[in-house]
Amino acid sequence: QAIDDDCNQTGQLLAAMLDWPQGTFASRVELEAGAVRVQREVDGGLETLRLRLPAVLTADLRLNEPRYATLPNIMKAKKKPLEVVPAAELGVPAGAPRLKVLQVQEPPARAGGEKVESVESLLGKLRHAGCI
Amino acid sequence: SREAERPRTAMAMAWRAAPRAAARLLLGRRGIASCIDPSTGLTEDQKEFQKVALDFAAKEMAPYMAEWDEKEIFPVETMRKAAQLGFGGIYVKPDVGGSGLSRLDTSIIFEALSTGCTSTTAYMSIHNMCVWMIDTFGNEEQRHRFCPSLCSMEKFASYCLTEPGSGSDAASLLTSAQRKGDTYVLNGSKAFISGGGDTDVYVVMCRTGGPGPKGISCLVLEKGMPGLSFGKKEKKVGWNSQPTRAVIFEDCVVPVGNRLGAEGQGFSIAMQGLNGGRINIASCSLGAAHASVLLAQEHLSVRKQFGEPLANNQYLQFRLAEMATRLLAARLMVRNAARALQEGREDAAVLCSMAKLFATDECFGICNQALQMHGGYGYLKDYAVQQFVRDIRVHQILEGTNEVMRMIVARSLLQG
Repeated sequence: QAIDDDCNQTGQLLAAMLDWPQGTFASRVELEAGAVRVQREVDGGLETLRLRLPAVLTADLRLNEPRYATLPNIMKAKKKPLEVVPAAELGVPAGAPRLKVLQVQEPPARAGGEKVESVESLLGKLRHAGCI
Repeated sequence: SREAERPRTAMAMAWRAAPRAAARLLLGRRGIASCIDPSTGLTEDQKEFQKVALDFAAKEMAPYMAEWDEKEIFPVETMRKAAQLGFGGIYVKPDVGGSGLSRLDTSIIFEALSTGCTSTTAYMSIHNMCVWMIDTFGNEEQRHRFCPSLCSMEKFASYCLTEPGSGSDAASLLTSAQRKGDTYVLNGSKAFISGGGDTDVYVVMCRTGGPGPKGISCLVLEKGMPGLSFGKKEKKVGWNSQPTRAVIFEDCVVPVGNRLGAEGQGFSIAMQGLNGGRINIASCSLGAAHASVLLAQEHLSVRKQFGEPLANNQYLQFRLAEMATRLLAARLMVRNAARALQEGREDAAVLCSMAKLFATDECFGICNQALQMHGGYGYLKDYAVQQFVRDIRVHQILEGTNEVMRMIVARSLLQG
């Protein structure tokens, strides 16, 4: 889920294009022979999948703690060479972006709620609205 | 009053909570009011150094600061982790394991680390000063023998100048070092030595010549040398995460090859070391004061009396504003002195004295005010503000008392 457009698609698209299994939002990764056990947090608890390798994984912030940068490394960072590779050299077709924005809209405004007097009344309203 | 009723501000919990929670809170509050944001005016690199130091302080120090104080723990493992990041020899040259940074970079780093634990950071600054002395005044053999293991904090250092009979009048020290062949034999004692007894390397000022400053030389001693022993561990009001002991020399034999610089150069080495030491101690005070302002700010927002948050009270608003203003003034003085020292300017020593005087006095006032704003809760050891007050109180005394700082400034004005 990139911080610019929040699409949450790159890992999943890649897996589909490669036809590899995918494990997204990984909060825990354990390698086994020829396979990987991936765990992610879901609303109800934890979900664990076992994927045959090769596989595509995307990481969640719960996966690990980033290391501290050391002072010498911070100073060396400025001097590291920055290699610029044109897209054409990588065999990527140049041209217009392949994503087209069709529409951007606000979520619907919240309608006002209603206070009810009893549990029966609540159940009645929910049934009436087709929620249960 | 019952536990549950105490105002548990998120800020207060940062210094007692689990590391992740502490980090989230301290890091989120870092530049809480842009007027006292400590990253203002810094270069990109300096902001990165500061960020690492603040991260480290929030996650590795703040959650343990109270325990280290209460149980008088010298946090060796935590300091070694800090050394892995380059904090063991910040302004020491890289060829012997140092980070090769400037005095201003150093000030920024100690100020940041101090928000996590002032006492531990102050010890680290003393350690750094010792390594710098060996790096700067030692010959190649000495630099390579001592500095690498000190930069990594595999070994720790202590600085020995003060004696029972000579504090402010440092040049009158009595510890004697008699030349015998290719050794010196030391007799005497040092007082109030930070780290004494637990550390490995001792940078000792002793008398090899006649009276006065010109008779003083600098020797490097190591724990385990015969004739080197330590007094009892002192019980202090603060700085409890570092042991303080007397260091005693009884016919202690030290090879001549352990002398830094020439005979008679010791006092000059000491004074040059103190310039940096004063900036470092002042920087530690800045960190404590900054943390205290954040604590006070949050307490005023949460605590209610007379039906309103304390923050609605104009007297307290004005007090908080004064605290912030003085903090910023102190910070600017310290950074100004650090730049002067880095550039080798003529007025550097006086500026360091002025900065140390101003910052340590003002920051103690700020921390004390912050404690007052907490009311009765400020007096409880459950709340971090009292530890900042206790820990920085001594900064007005050591590295040259604030009275001696005034002597230096007056002399510069009237005689310089």
